[in-house]
Amino acid sequence: MKISLEEMVSLGGLAGEIMLKNGAETYRIEETMDHITKACGALKVESFVIPTGVFLTVTDQAGRSLTAMRRVRMRTINLDRIAKVNELSRRLVDQRIEYTNALAILQYISRERTGFSLMPTMLASGTIGGGTAILQNAVFFEIVAAFLAAMLVRYIAHVVSRLQGAQFAFEFLGGMAVAFCGALLHQIWPDLSPDAVIIGGIMPLVPGVAITNAIRDVIAGDLLSSLSRGLEAVLTSAAVAMGVVIVLAFYGW
Amino acid sequence: MKIAAVFLVSASIGILYRIPRTLVVYASLVGVAAWLIMYYTMIAGATVVLADFLASIAVGIMAEILARSLKKPATIFIIPGFIPLVPGSDAYTTMLYMVKGQYVSGVSMGMQTMLTASAIAFGIFVSSAMFKLVINYKTESSWQNVDKS
Repeated sequence: MKISLEEMVSLGGLAGEIMLKNGAETYRIEETMDHITKACGALKVESFVIPTGVFLTVTDQAGRSLTAMRRVRMRTINLDRIAKVNELSRRLVDQRIEYTNALAILQYISRERTGFSLMPTMLASGTIGGGTAILQNAVFFEIVAAFLAAMLVRYIAHVVSRLQGAQFAFEFLGGMAVAFCGALLHQIWPDLSPDAVIIGGIMPLVPGVAITNAIRDVIAGDLLSSLSRGLEAVLTSAAVAMGVVIVLAFYGW
Repeated sequence: MKIAAVFLVSASIGILYRIPRTLVVYASLVGVAAWLIMYYTMIAGATVVLADFLASIAVGIMAEILARSLKKPATIFIIPGFIPLVPGSDAYTTMLYMVKGQYVSGVSMGMQTMLTASAIAFGIFVSSAMFKLVINYKTESSWQNVDKS
């Protein structure tokens, strides 16, 4: 079966868009788009990815070329989808699936609700908080409070992500909520210190994906993406710190 | 007790970032191994910065090996691996000093926090870059063999 130029571009563009939306490294997105379109029979592929958009130019055997641009505004983190698109491109390169199947699978990946719903992610977030509190040699009630504070952070994330829009608002509000929980605990039981609660609570807010991708983009030589992702990590940390500091300042006063 | 806590923290990070369910255990074991390296190098007398650097080098190496053998992106194993190393308590202590107006202690603690964070980032950088060099060296030498034959 002959695959048309438009179909190649739409398949490659969709794959790139999914990977960028869910937090993949720049070089991985570019390589995946190259592999997918070449497996469909493209002669030459040029791909360019920055953290806010995907560009793709495909030239077919007849020498015609077509460019597509996909703008990505909302970005989340879902490493499961990245692994799935990666697997799909491997299969396409090995000729183990057809074009029509590949497109259907990609559309399914972009729409399916993978991973876990609100309650399990809240429990996971709480476990991060509680576990970190254990590492800080906290006593039992501090661990419980850290668990609850980290759960609250996840719930705030859920609410804020529905409202969409303002960047770094969730990190700031999360930091404030955690510091407030710590201060409240200290107020109710002056024997317990708010330290472990706040340290545990801010742990789910660490920008893990931004840090990792910034490093991996530097190694791959994608300077533009690595700088902006590094800045994202710094700004996220600053937002969390500001949220905590503001509440602590008021509490001390 | 603490090892179990680290395992749970890493596994929860994996769930939060939605890594494929079958890989959660591998990613958590990377986190536990990294934390143990950090813990014992600190008991042996190393500074926090050096201990975190060594541990994050280990995270990078383990993640790249797992990624190659399971054919999955290395990011999946790096993130749960290095989160237990993040200097959360240092960052908090810095904030506390700054709020109380003890700027000298705050700046020195902040410097330590930043150095520790940079050490983690640089450790992952070093191990991933070295791994890439080794892989490229292997493919290059296999090309030379093709040329000879």
